[in-house]
Amino acid sequence: MLTTTRRGVMAGGAALLAGMATGRDAQAQSRRILVMASNQDIPNFDPHVANGYSASMALRNTYDSLVGVAGNPPKPVPQLAQSWTISDDGREYTFKLDLAAKFHDGSPVNAEAVKYSFNRLLRLNRGNAWMIAGVVDQNSVEAIDATTVRIRLVTPFVPFLSVLPWVWIVNPAQVEANKGSDDGQAWLRSNLAGSGAFRLRRAEAGNLYEFERVADAWRKGGGNLTGAIWKITRETATQRLMVQRGEAQIAVDLTSEDMDSLKGRSGVNLVIEPEYRTFSMKMNTRHGPLQDANLRRAIAYAFNYQGMLDVAGYAELMKGPFPESIDGFDKELPVYRTDLARAKEFLAKSSTPNGGIKITVAHVSGLEQQRRWALVLLDSLRALNIELDIKPMIWPDMVSAARSPETTPDIFMVYQTANYGDPDNLAFAGYHSSRNGGWQNPVYSNPEVDGLLTQARAESDPEKRRALYVRFQRVLMEDSPDIFGVLEKRKLAMRSNVQGFAFTPVASNAIDLFPLSLG
Amino acid sequence: MVGYILRRLLLLVPVLLGLSMLVFAIARLLPGDPVALAAGPNATAADVASVAREFGLDKPLVVQYWHYLTGLFQGDWGVSIFTRRPVLEDLAAYLPATLELVLAAMLLAIGLGIPLGLMAAVFRNKWPDFLARTVSLGAISMPRFFLGLVFQLLFAMWLGWLPLSGRFPLTEDPPPHVTGMLTVDALLSGQFHAFGVALSYLALPAIAMCLSPLATIMRMMRASTIEVLQQDYVLTERALGLSQKLILFKYVLKNAISATLTVIGLYFGWLLGGTVLVETVFDWPGIGLYATQAVLTQDFMPIIGVTLCIGAIFVTVNLVVDMLYGLLNPKVRYQ
Amino acid sequence: MSTTTAHPRIESWRRGLYRFRQSWVSVLGLLIVVVLLVLAIGGQHLAPYPQHIAGMVDTSARLQAPSATYWFGTNELGQDVFSLVVAGTRISLLAGMAVVIVGAAFGVFVGAIAGFFGGWVDEILMRLADLKLTIPGLILAMAVAAALGPGIGNMIFAIALSWWPGYARLVRGEVMAKREETFVLASRAMGAGTNRLLWKHILPNIMSPIIVKMSLDMGFAILTVASLGFIGIGVKPPTPEWGSLLSVARVNMPDYWWTAIFPGLAIFMAVFGFNLLGDGLRDLLDPKARR
Repeated sequence: MLTTTRRGVMAGGAALLAGMATGRDAQAQSRRILVMASNQDIPNFDPHVANGYSASMALRNTYDSLVGVAGNPPKPVPQLAQSWTISDDGREYTFKLDLAAKFHDGSPVNAEAVKYSFNRLLRLNRGNAWMIAGVVDQNSVEAIDATTVRIRLVTPFVPFLSVLPWVWIVNPAQVEANKGSDDGQAWLRSNLAGSGAFRLRRAEAGNLYEFERVADAWRKGGGNLTGAIWKITRETATQRLMVQRGEAQIAVDLTSEDMDSLKGRSGVNLVIEPEYRTFSMKMNTRHGPLQDANLRRAIAYAFNYQGMLDVAGYAELMKGPFPESIDGFDKELPVYRTDLARAKEFLAKSSTPNGGIKITVAHVSGLEQQRRWALVLLDSLRALNIELDIKPMIWPDMVSAARSPETTPDIFMVYQTANYGDPDNLAFAGYHSSRNGGWQNPVYSNPEVDGLLTQARAESDPEKRRALYVRFQRVLMEDSPDIFGVLEKRKLAMRSNVQGFAFTPVASNAIDLFPLSLG
Repeated sequence: MVGYILRRLLLLVPVLLGLSMLVFAIARLLPGDPVALAAGPNATAADVASVAREFGLDKPLVVQYWHYLTGLFQGDWGVSIFTRRPVLEDLAAYLPATLELVLAAMLLAIGLGIPLGLMAAVFRNKWPDFLARTVSLGAISMPRFFLGLVFQLLFAMWLGWLPLSGRFPLTEDPPPHVTGMLTVDALLSGQFHAFGVALSYLALPAIAMCLSPLATIMRMMRASTIEVLQQDYVLTERALGLSQKLILFKYVLKNAISATLTVIGLYFGWLLGGTVLVETVFDWPGIGLYATQAVLTQDFMPIIGVTLCIGAIFVTVNLVVDMLYGLLNPKVRYQ
Repeated sequence: MSTTTAHPRIESWRRGLYRFRQSWVSVLGLLIVVVLLVLAIGGQHLAPYPQHIAGMVDTSARLQAPSATYWFGTNELGQDVFSLVVAGTRISLLAGMAVVIVGAAFGVFVGAIAGFFGGWVDEILMRLADLKLTIPGLILAMAVAAALGPGIGNMIFAIALSWWPGYARLVRGEVMAKREETFVLASRAMGAGTNRLLWKHILPNIMSPIIVKMSLDMGFAILTVASLGFIGIGVKPPTPEWGSLLSVARVNMPDYWWTAIFPGLAIFMAVFGFNLLGDGLRDLLDPKARR
């Protein structure tokens, strides 16, 4: 047994050297496969159940939706729907489908399929259903004829088109054939019933997913990729090195230090762009010492924002709940910055004028950035004589802790990503009391804010809408329920032979393969 | 002989049963709520309840265990809440990678440990012995994850001689699946280039894993060889003029290897359980990584599955080792 | 030379000490352990930047290479790596010791009962011990520690859970052997009860193999604590445990290698030192096991 291994090693070693010399990349080039390195797995391919950016990547390339999203600032673009009209009251949308659209099995993507898909999404009430919850119901979608779909909204919802890229259309025949007892979930978990430009070729759970371009895809144009691989690489340092060595063409999870390390390296382009991902520390306004608004304001003034920024790298400090590029951002909004004098002023007005209390902060264990920010917070609170207990929790625990004010920790760290470039997404999800008990807004409940947001959602006049959001931001700052943190810039490293990439500040890490080419 | 084997096999049953009970108990003591995560951020109480029902989480503990046990025998090892895939499927996907790593590490440990141990025994108390002893202690003390990191830094990042992580280059198709172990599969299908490539990916993780068992095997080999060399019957044979080499081959090897067998049995289980650290560093998609993910997301079915799987393999390997030991040393059989 | 023969135990101690001094590896081990103990006890007072240990950050001095100001460089928050490693010494040593002591205490108790009473008590307890051995220690510790939540106490409990069977078996064997010895039978004839027999007569006589095992295990206990810290189970921030320091520093490789290399070396030195010492102690206390 030993001799074979030794011989094998020698033979293998020789073959290895030979292999390195001939260049495996050449083989890959003739097949033009784009390798993306990410640390997120894709455990579920059901378009009406899965969530997370890795699933979004897989789904947006293997399925189609009525409209897509592109550009910076992001705008809806035609996809399955060639054109559309909106009624004057903003409640009726009529879409004309592209006649050429067909599923992978050849059948056309017709209005019935659209209706079926919407209804399935609503029925299962998982995945991205929350985006249309309360706006669309089982009677809303109507198939006027084979290529015309009319959607009647239950309540007016201005950002409706921004939501649609994440509602994917499935092939009803295939899903019905494999319905089983759970509405096809078991089957769709690992099988595709889509119409997208790509198909799944190889799936190795926890390791990689390989996509290949569909030979006779209905969507014309796009780039020259023959396939793509989503490689799960848990370590960001490894992702970086893969891009450096050309083993991967795109890395999506790099830290600021990784980007710095890649600066100036030949063959690597860095994409560092602002987007709609906010990071805040939400304070428990309904239970515990932070019910006291003055204490909250004191903490907001005591926090070491510069330290947070230093540690974050490529980021900007938030100026309130909205990123600057969102329509409705209030440029005049007064924000909290480190000011120990004012912090102590507010502390004196609070119910614990000398501090001397201990509060807890929860962050997702394993997320390095959050760990660092928690330590910055700990340091900041010492100036107020407040002790901080840092609890790394796994995400499921955080989600369940958010259920009630009593179990929610005093400070709750959370990233919010806008799936669409409209202020409603961030505002409603993060500050409307109907979302209490969920991780996006565990406890904050302010009737004035609720009123403003509900009104703004339905307001179709852009000027009036903006005014409502400005008021909302002012009320929020006064109330100070969050320590507004940073807007991390999106950091992507890309090999310079990747062409056709255009940055959109919405789900930019869910790489859209269609327009890409390898030069 | 047959009776001995049968007795040992029979003992296997209660052990595995107890194992499953123990692990199930631990796993179900987990606080936290993976159901909430699976149900999604906007799930209502009703949704959460339905997900709970879907996975049978609302029944009393004993009933759940019974379902689990009966399911085990039917090939249903539960479903991972996080990946929504049957645990058995996950295990089948991840286990070969770990086995490949463990086998490679064991081969290296035996292949290098035995000759080194012999050498240390023969040159006893001279400098090769001392060097070997200190280095072996150092090897046992070295944390595998740190060593793995240093290897990565040195051989992959700075020198670039070997790949950084993973099992196989991404853009090439792996050899046709037979065992799931890429090196073996490549050999079986005659793809020597693929074999070499797979080996280069296996090299660093296997070396990081093998140092501890290598050191121990070396020490055991040395100890038992010395003991044998001092035995009366060896001294007698020496006095009668038989050459050193022949003596070594006749007695030393046989007795020494039987002692080493025990170590192999022990270390196999230890290696299996300990691959977590190396798999993390090298992104090696084995059950260690799978278990870590399950522990961090409090997904209990995979935790039970992995522990049961490793426990069963460990117990089986021990049985095989015991039997081999019994073959070599008949006195053992009649205990 | 004196004509009276010294007490045999002291003689064997003296001989053992002589052998110990002769073996330079054991002395080296002792040296390393002493340094570690000094660092552990000295802790904050020996570190050049004790405020960093308490959690202060200095983001303007992030990720600086080793220099005269920061001997081991600084980490991603500007904290001095040397101070953190020194502080970690106390945690790792204490945790390792706690694991060994808790595991040994429980194992000795179980093993003594099993060995003394024999019969079905022995069978059950030993089967339980066997059961524990079938689960690889790390995985068991992972599952239990994850179940109980973060914190050193939980981690120690989790690791000790997989540690005790070794002691149980050892003690059981020794107790069974000693049970039949004359001094025990004599005590029993004089009416000594079970408790007295066990705890006052038998146990003191089998302390040496237990101590040898404890000292040998110390190194691995520290390693296991660091391993769990590396996976991410164990201490809470900002406690600077070596394994967690190493795990956090992985993202900094290779450019900021000092954040990882020094904690890793610390782990290695601690385990190595204790192993060397343990080996030496075994020669000292239990010459039968000497090779």
